[in-house]
Amino acid sequence: MRITDRVESRERCAESGWYAYDFILDEPMDADFIRSLRAVGGSFVFMTMLKKPFFKIESDYYIIKGVEGNNYFRMAVHEEHLSELERVERLVQGEIADGAADRRS
Amino acid sequence: MIYLNNAATTYPKPQNVLDACSAALRSVPESQFRSGQELTDGEDVFTVCKRNLGKIMGLSQTERIYLSSGATDSANRVLYGLLSDSNDCEKKIITTVTEHNSILRPLYNHQCWKKRLQLLPCDRFGYIDPGNLEKMLTINDRDGVGTEAVIINHCSNVTGMVQDLAAFAEAINDSGLRDRPVFIVDASQSAGCIPFSADDLKIDALIFTGHKSLFGVQGTGGYFVRNGLELRPMLYGGTGRNSAQIEYSAADDDYEYEVGTQNGPGIAALCAGTEYILSRGVNAIAEKEREQMRILYDALGSISNVKRYGCFEKNAGPVLSFVIDEMAPSDVAYILKTGYDVTVRTGLHCAPLIHDAIGSGERGTVRISISDMTQNAELEDFINIISEIAEAGRQI
Repeated sequence: MRITDRVESRERCAESGWYAYDFILDEPMDADFIRSLRAVGGSFVFMTMLKKPFFKIESDYYIIKGVEGNNYFRMAVHEEHLSELERVERLVQGEIADGAADRRS
Repeated sequence: MIYLNNAATTYPKPQNVLDACSAALRSVPESQFRSGQELTDGEDVFTVCKRNLGKIMGLSQTERIYLSSGATDSANRVLYGLLSDSNDCEKKIITTVTEHNSILRPLYNHQCWKKRLQLLPCDRFGYIDPGNLEKMLTINDRDGVGTEAVIINHCSNVTGMVQDLAAFAEAINDSGLRDRPVFIVDASQSAGCIPFSADDLKIDALIFTGHKSLFGVQGTGGYFVRNGLELRPMLYGGTGRNSAQIEYSAADDDYEYEVGTQNGPGIAALCAGTEYILSRGVNAIAEKEREQMRILYDALGSISNVKRYGCFEKNAGPVLSFVIDEMAPSDVAYILKTGYDVTVRTGLHCAPLIHDAIGSGERGTVRISISDMTQNAELEDFINIISEIAEAGRQI
């Protein structure tokens, strides 16, 4: 899986100190890919019973969410932890095997 | 695609609105009060639009309707134009916790006004007891402080509660106050879909937007200020009238408040929207929407882990807020949009003070809102989708 773009969300949550980005992927996310994101760390919810299964990973500093079958997911991150964006990007692109091991924050 | 965010902006628009906006862009531009304008049937679109707005909102002084870029623009012009900005003024300004930020932010960011503010509470349905207003007015009057203005949101954009304007009007007009306050109503959510008569209610200033139930486009709206009330201009500029006059004073009671080139295509669309509403009838629109809201209230009420903020019997507007247990409202909206192509609104809905009262906290609600263009089939599909999401929520 490759990330083709990272777009700052038009939804304005910055006033509460959080910034949201949509990661654009080169192919749709399947269940295996979504489960691989657990390595990022944080609580993981995967609602597979939905026709379009929804997932969410949440920690104190970031929230990642998306829907299986879409070629994008959203990451909201606190302004003091923007480096998490790069860590997730590297994890998705296979540059690091275990996101948790490389976590800096 | 299912669109249930009509409290933000109505979509789709009636066909005549699309046609009028397109025709305006393809025609020689209309320009209010400027010479050289070829009129249709002796009237320009601005005049016709205001006359229609008067019919819809029960306003006879249509020459005192001024068009603007929307409710926020209108609210600022009305508040800055009517309220005293003197530090010596101690008169209270009464408003409610149900207000939108288009009212709250101007009031809270003007230090003179902020210190004179009094807030009327609401119950968990968003209802404001007019008796509380009467008490507040009486106390202010008795203490010799007085009340400068009462600002009421007619229909909540969070709960759909429609306030009893007649009772508020009675409290203001018939309570034997020595100094009657100015009665200002924000009809942004009600204009076009809930019948009322500003004349009968003795409303002094009315704020409305064009892009919601009046079916205009974004960037249109307006306000009304009753004849005899002095409105200090907030903006100065070209009007197309009395071009030789540069300076104005309070004695210039015919000041033209619509300065600068008006949004002609937008006003043409708004005018078409008003024609659509008049052809349908506000009462007929209200009845249709009421029946559709019954469908939504009943269906959502039958899902065990869905909490509604309001109930059909009390909340009469075309807006409904809810949450699904254990799920963040923002997640529900995200699932709806990205998984099912359903557009709703989530969060505090620019009305931050109401949420403590209705119990929706910092995360706010998922809000659905309909218009006269909403189809029953869309509601049926939406209910099935929410049932599925709620079922999934129970398994988290």
